[in-house]
Amino acid sequence: MQSFLDYLKSSGTPGQYGDPMWGAVWALIYILLIFTGISVAVIAMNWLERKILAHMQVRLGPMRVGPHGLLQPIADALKLLIKEDIVPDEADRVVFWLAPVAVVIAAFTVFIVVPFGPTHAVTDMNIGLLFMLGVSSLGVLGIIMAGWASNSHYPLMGALRSSAQMVSYEIAMGMAVVSAVLMTSLSSGTGTLSMIGIVRAQAEQGVWFIFKFFPLGLLAFFIFAVAMVAETNRAPFDLPEAESELVAGFHTEYSGFRWSLFFLAEYAAMIAVSSIAVTLWLGGWMRPFASWHGPKITMPGYWEHPELGAVDFAFSLAPAATFLLLAGLSFLGTVRMPRHPMFKIQKAGLAGFSLALAGIGVLLLVPPVRDTIQDIYWFVFKVAIFMYLYIWYRGTFPRYRFDQLMKLGWKVMIPLGIGVLIVTALLGVML
Amino acid sequence: MTARELIRKVLLVDLIKGLSVTFRYQDPREVYTEQYPLERPQVAERYRGAPRLNVNPETNETLCIACDLCALACPEHLIVVSSERNATTRRKELTTFTYDLSRCMFCGLCEDACPTDALELTQDFELANYTREGAIWDRQTLERGPQPTVYKG
Repeated sequence: MQSFLDYLKSSGTPGQYGDPMWGAVWALIYILLIFTGISVAVIAMNWLERKILAHMQVRLGPMRVGPHGLLQPIADALKLLIKEDIVPDEADRVVFWLAPVAVVIAAFTVFIVVPFGPTHAVTDMNIGLLFMLGVSSLGVLGIIMAGWASNSHYPLMGALRSSAQMVSYEIAMGMAVVSAVLMTSLSSGTGTLSMIGIVRAQAEQGVWFIFKFFPLGLLAFFIFAVAMVAETNRAPFDLPEAESELVAGFHTEYSGFRWSLFFLAEYAAMIAVSSIAVTLWLGGWMRPFASWHGPKITMPGYWEHPELGAVDFAFSLAPAATFLLLAGLSFLGTVRMPRHPMFKIQKAGLAGFSLALAGIGVLLLVPPVRDTIQDIYWFVFKVAIFMYLYIWYRGTFPRYRFDQLMKLGWKVMIPLGIGVLIVTALLGVML
Repeated sequence: MTARELIRKVLLVDLIKGLSVTFRYQDPREVYTEQYPLERPQVAERYRGAPRLNVNPETNETLCIACDLCALACPEHLIVVSSERNATTRRKELTTFTYDLSRCMFCGLCEDACPTDALELTQDFELANYTREGAIWDRQTLERGPQPTVYKG
């Protein structure tokens, strides 16, 4: 039991903890936390996507279930759970059942190596990045299984498109990733594929890889950013599920809970590839201007960390500030709600919600909590920017035609990726 | 492709323009949607909606003189006016007035025919009913007008 508590003082992931048994217990706790976190993020993302997309199209989005439609994802989930689960007569039942499971497993397994902070990862594999890319591309297997098992034209077409698209863009993605991995070897002489190691390399070199060898890092990041949209089948590369052409693509024949598994997996995969991008190019858990410390200020009480400067202190208030801002916004929503008895429950609910947000914000001001939450906050913040970008793209860009997609992948992205890789290698040798 | 076009393409100028447009439209003030039961739309002044039988605001007596011109003007013959001669004043007085909204096409010929401006097509548009019979309005309903649930207190 002592060993269980001692983990909190250790400075490693549960996978590296000396005591294997308690390490496994901590790993389980982490897995549960991450699984819940991702599920909540998917729910939040569902609401945010509908809201943001609606506002981009000068609509309002969900407004009816709960204040500003806040409970809409829950209503949707309930609807999906009680919906009839249809298996087509001609479908291959076993594969039809297995496909969504495979997709979900592939999407969630990758989170084992995602470093939310230097110690906040389930484990730190020395091949972490390879593991992540490998397992996340297993998702395409599930999609092909779904398309084939449905025994119907549209799903099969969608699955074929999806596999062709994923295979093409994986090459460009790989090139960009390798150029970032090359950069990790610049100061220490040995590169690393470990997700935590990559962020540490950026900390050592004092620069995020997106700004390294400007504009090379930016180019590699750009290639990855395009390829990851294609990889997750999102607009403008959503040909596998193009509504106007293929009904719903590979999940046309799926309904109810199985469909919601595909939905869950799609969003989990989006979060996963975004976290790869954040880890490789945007300094992972590091805050902006991490190498920049302000003048040391002294203040009685709080300063058990005298090494912290004013800038560090200012940045460490960001998580609390975010939650307090959200609380303020939802409180504003409460105040502006129409005065009518019909809105009584909604008003109370929204007020409670803003109180909860404010409570979290205040909790994040407590020094020990604030210091442990820092890295997680910045990581999630950067991933959230990517999530917003996904929605923004979807609200803006029209869908590519299939030949345009292939042309972009093979004639632009892959040569560019190879070029970036070669120049990075040359610069690495010369400098 | 000229050099200028090439640079535009490489720097993704068009894509960024599109992104900035969608970004600007996120302003909540740009929202065009009306939250219907909460916000009621402003219907055009000449809109012809629910019919109404006007009453004299001072005496609360109907303006209708039961002349039957509206019923004659109606191309659908959906107005039925019945009246009765008052024995003392020797004047025709309105007893019942039915208006079958389910057949009405809101052409407005009845209000044009009315010599006293008693019958009028108003800007009320909430005419939904649970039954077909509910669409046949009697004199009382016509004088009162439709009474939709009001959501804003």
